[in-house]
Amino acid sequence: MTGWLATILIFLPLAGAVLVWLLPVGRFAGPTALLVALAEIGFWINALNQMNFDKAGPAPNFDQRWSWFSDLGVSYHVGFYGFSFWLAGLAVVVMAAAIAYGFWVGRDRPSAYFGLMLFLTSATVGVFASQDLLLFYVFFEAMMIPLYLLIGVWGGPGRLGATVKFVIYTMAGSLLMLASVIVFGLSEGSFDLVSTGTSDNTWIFLGFLVAFAVKAPLFPLHGWLPDAYRESSPEVAAVLSGLISKAAVFGFIRICLFKFPEPFDDFRVLVLALAATGLVYGSLLAFRAQDVRGVIAYSSLAQMGLITIGIFAVSTAGISGAVLQAVNHGLISATLFLLAGTIERRTSTGSFDRLGGMARGRPALATMLMLTGIIALAVPGSSAFAGEFLILLGVFGAGWGWAVAAATGIVLAAMYMLRLISAVLHREPGSAVSEVALDLRPAELGILVPLVACLLALSAWPAAISGHVLGPSISPGAPQERHLTRPNDQPPEGRMDMVTMGPGR
Amino acid sequence: MIAAAWVCLFSPLAAAVLITLGGTRFPRRLTGYLATASVVVAFVAAVVDFFAVINRGDSDQQQISTAWTWLSAGSFNVGLSVLVDPLSVFMMLIVTGVGALIVGYSVGYMDGEDEERRYFAYMALFVFSMLLLVQGGNLLMLLIGWGLVGLSSYLLIGYHHERPAAVAAAKKAFIMNAVGDATMALAFFLLIQRTGSLSFQSSFDWAGGETGTWAVNLVALGLLGGAVAKSAQLPLQTWLPDAMEGPTPVSALIHAATMVTAGVYLLVRAAPIFEAAKHVQELAAGLGAATLVMAGLIALVQTDIKRVIAYSTMSQIGYMFLGAGLGAYANAMFLLMAHAFFKALLFLSAGIVIHALAGEQDMRRMGGLRRYLPNTYWAFLIGALALAGIPPLAGFFAKDSILASALAAGTYGQILFVVGVLGTFLTGLYAFRMVFLVFGGEPTPFVQEHLHRPDRSEPWLWMGAAVAVLSVLSVIGGWVQVPGAWSLVSDFLAPTVESVVEASGSQEFLASLCAVTLGAAGIALAWAVFSTRRLRVPEARAVRTVLEHKFYFDELYDAIFYRPSVLLAVALRDWVERPLVLGSIGGIGAVARKASSELRGVQTGLVRTYALAIAGSVTVLAFVFVWVK
Repeated sequence: MTGWLATILIFLPLAGAVLVWLLPVGRFAGPTALLVALAEIGFWINALNQMNFDKAGPAPNFDQRWSWFSDLGVSYHVGFYGFSFWLAGLAVVVMAAAIAYGFWVGRDRPSAYFGLMLFLTSATVGVFASQDLLLFYVFFEAMMIPLYLLIGVWGGPGRLGATVKFVIYTMAGSLLMLASVIVFGLSEGSFDLVSTGTSDNTWIFLGFLVAFAVKAPLFPLHGWLPDAYRESSPEVAAVLSGLISKAAVFGFIRICLFKFPEPFDDFRVLVLALAATGLVYGSLLAFRAQDVRGVIAYSSLAQMGLITIGIFAVSTAGISGAVLQAVNHGLISATLFLLAGTIERRTSTGSFDRLGGMARGRPALATMLMLTGIIALAVPGSSAFAGEFLILLGVFGAGWGWAVAAATGIVLAAMYMLRLISAVLHREPGSAVSEVALDLRPAELGILVPLVACLLALSAWPAAISGHVLGPSISPGAPQERHLTRPNDQPPEGRMDMVTMGPGR
Repeated sequence: MIAAAWVCLFSPLAAAVLITLGGTRFPRRLTGYLATASVVVAFVAAVVDFFAVINRGDSDQQQISTAWTWLSAGSFNVGLSVLVDPLSVFMMLIVTGVGALIVGYSVGYMDGEDEERRYFAYMALFVFSMLLLVQGGNLLMLLIGWGLVGLSSYLLIGYHHERPAAVAAAKKAFIMNAVGDATMALAFFLLIQRTGSLSFQSSFDWAGGETGTWAVNLVALGLLGGAVAKSAQLPLQTWLPDAMEGPTPVSALIHAATMVTAGVYLLVRAAPIFEAAKHVQELAAGLGAATLVMAGLIALVQTDIKRVIAYSTMSQIGYMFLGAGLGAYANAMFLLMAHAFFKALLFLSAGIVIHALAGEQDMRRMGGLRRYLPNTYWAFLIGALALAGIPPLAGFFAKDSILASALAAGTYGQILFVVGVLGTFLTGLYAFRMVFLVFGGEPTPFVQEHLHRPDRSEPWLWMGAAVAVLSVLSVIGGWVQVPGAWSLVSDFLAPTVESVVEASGSQEFLASLCAVTLGAAGIALAWAVFSTRRLRVPEARAVRTVLEHKFYFDELYDAIFYRPSVLLAVALRDWVERPLVLGSIGGIGAVARKASSELRGVQTGLVRTYALAIAGSVTVLAFVFVWVK
């Protein structure tokens, strides 16, 4: 079965979705979807047991390849590298939490809703598993369709405007990417990511870069973000910021970095500048945001900037930190959005001027928000600290100025996160906070505690992810070997340690 | 030895986790006992380590034990490891010993509080963090402990979270410390770039070969940034007085005895780096000297009893920085220990006063308390005398050893010596101003109103015991190191750090003479002004205003950091985000809607139109494919 695990992980939720759509499950759609999502986690853990992070050779784990359109060089080719496997793990966990939350709150037209959520799971895992560009594009698009519907149909009052913006931005990105995919595949004679070589075509690279920059989002392409995060239901916002943005992380590493090393180098400084701007800009806006979701939304912009900095630092530390931080941020922002949902359910508002004093009589809510908040602001010892430390270490080699800018962003993170915590939990109770204390219910705890437990486990051992991101598997057969490590006795040069070759370079 | 170190580290963490998970299932009192017991266990483990270190030969007094690899990326690995050597054991003893007394005191002090459980969970978390800081086996573990004590400090300052002042003070403390954390992290990046690791040994070896280079100076500067933030020295000192919003035992443990002295620990621990960066080390001494005078002056005009003690803490840490910066490491650690005793004593006695007066902290409303709280008066007096450096109390031996070292440290040291001696005068003055205002004179109406009830008299077992033990320690704590006779602290720490300055007998004598004379003069002046009222406080309105505004540091930082960042954020939001980023797409959306309504005409419903469209698209695509290929 080992060889099939990637395929199983992709298609199990799809099968669940079809089941939920076609069978008259009615109000059992939620539990069914949740069961499927939990089974998916089980399969992922099974895969984790069998994952060989030190696999030699360019082929990924659970490699599976069938020719699809053989004359065009298109194939169904899936498998996981270290970094994509962690992102898939993030996907199954966040989706399970989102489905559980949706089920607990109760959504209209449950079979449609939960079917879409399962479909989304399938597509997201597919994105992270793809080793063929056209297949990647298919999953990438398949991921967007349920999101349009989930925001546009089940969102808040301003959902239509939010959806239109979201569609326009992502469509523009997707079209550019489609052009790039086609041109790359045709010029290489194959769409396979493992067997094809690298390309130095700047235009193809830019198509991918812009598509992923929209998805991340990277400043200034984040126009869709505030509305989408505000108008969707909490669990969709959690998925959107926690998970969907990570497709960009995958794309930056798997495609931009490993397939286009030279254009990547050419645009490195530009992207670093944009990401650093986004980091500081997002942090400042989060610091002045007037509601809970505003803070989380702009902090996501800042965090994605930071993660991008890690990737474009092009060093082992930077990329390891970026992947670790991608998982951290996924868990953190999912938890925060779900918490925002529980707060909104209790007060029917997320606006700071009507909140406050919620800590009194609600120890569970206070503990959860406090814990997630302090992990989010990267208090030393937390997994987010580990990720940010590695990212900054990585970018320090590329130029200490970047590290200073990023460090500024991190101090700002402390400012906006503490402001969020205080505005919700501390001071006198706000006008929307009722005297009748309603703490988190057991069901809500059942959803949130596992997410926070994942964060705490990662805080105890962040090396679990950061030490298993690239592995030696990625290097062999490389045309030009860059340094993975620098011997201690050598004087340092510009960048501290360069990442080795990408898959299939 | 190593097992005891791990027990010492994790026992308070276990208590914190247990209390959090137990929640309301635990009776309130139990959480206090649990926290105290865990710190006592840690203390016992530290004592075990102490004897283990003493009984070992000089050669292997340093042991590092790694539990697992905490962080790794490529060839860069950092383990979760603890270090047992004389310096860490010295700090472990202070942290757990004083910590156990103060946590025990809190059982009495916090009795009847609404959220006692939360308090004790935070306290235990703090002790764990502080132990991680002093036991950390590499620089990253030290930084993690460093950050976690900042976090616990934030949580405890903001313990009364319904008070806006407490919340604001907590945030301020956290953010100023985050600035320090950031400079430390940047220093670490440079270190990693140069040495590929964060172990103490490799960093120190590297520094040894790089004496005076810009790299080692930058590393030292980054570390110093962290140290001044944590220890509330110039220029990152403004958070400490505000931190007094926390409950009094918190001020005693965190903002006096242990956490704020972490900067001194860092200066001593990373001594090889600072010695390679001589100018930065001298800068540390200079900042310490400037802080000790500034804080002493501000303390003169404070009216809140806890703030006076807070400024005296800043001032005393200034002495420690002065000592460590001049290379008198053992003497700095000696003052750190003595200060932990008498400052904890002062805070805990002040806590009894505040408790008795139902939370009142304004000294102008106090007076004559000697009559109602005689035992507390004696305890407080011992603390104040020790603070002022009157022999034979702990502060005398410790502070004078630093001043003597300053005399021995060349011209720069002698300049700082003059500043330090001036500081002893201020110390005597502000300490006894406080003593006379609170305990001297006739009871004020406010005091009489609060103390005629029997339940508000002298305290009960838990609080009394801690204060009694600390009183004894404040008296005898200094006797471990008597110039000319024995030097237990220096000898014990010698395997880790050798002091680079050694004062001669005559320098010791001169320093003691100056310090005691001026300290006593300060006390005499305080007596004349605040007790007998023979002298009047000079008006000097301008000076007073400057002091009351704490030299305008808060206003300055507000004007150059906080306000501009708020303005920038608002400007970005109103002039960039809304009109450009969000607005533009609104325009695109409108266009798209219009276009789509016109495109609706294309939906003819005729199959042949669709077929034509599909055929057309396919043709275009085919052309594209062929052309590209």
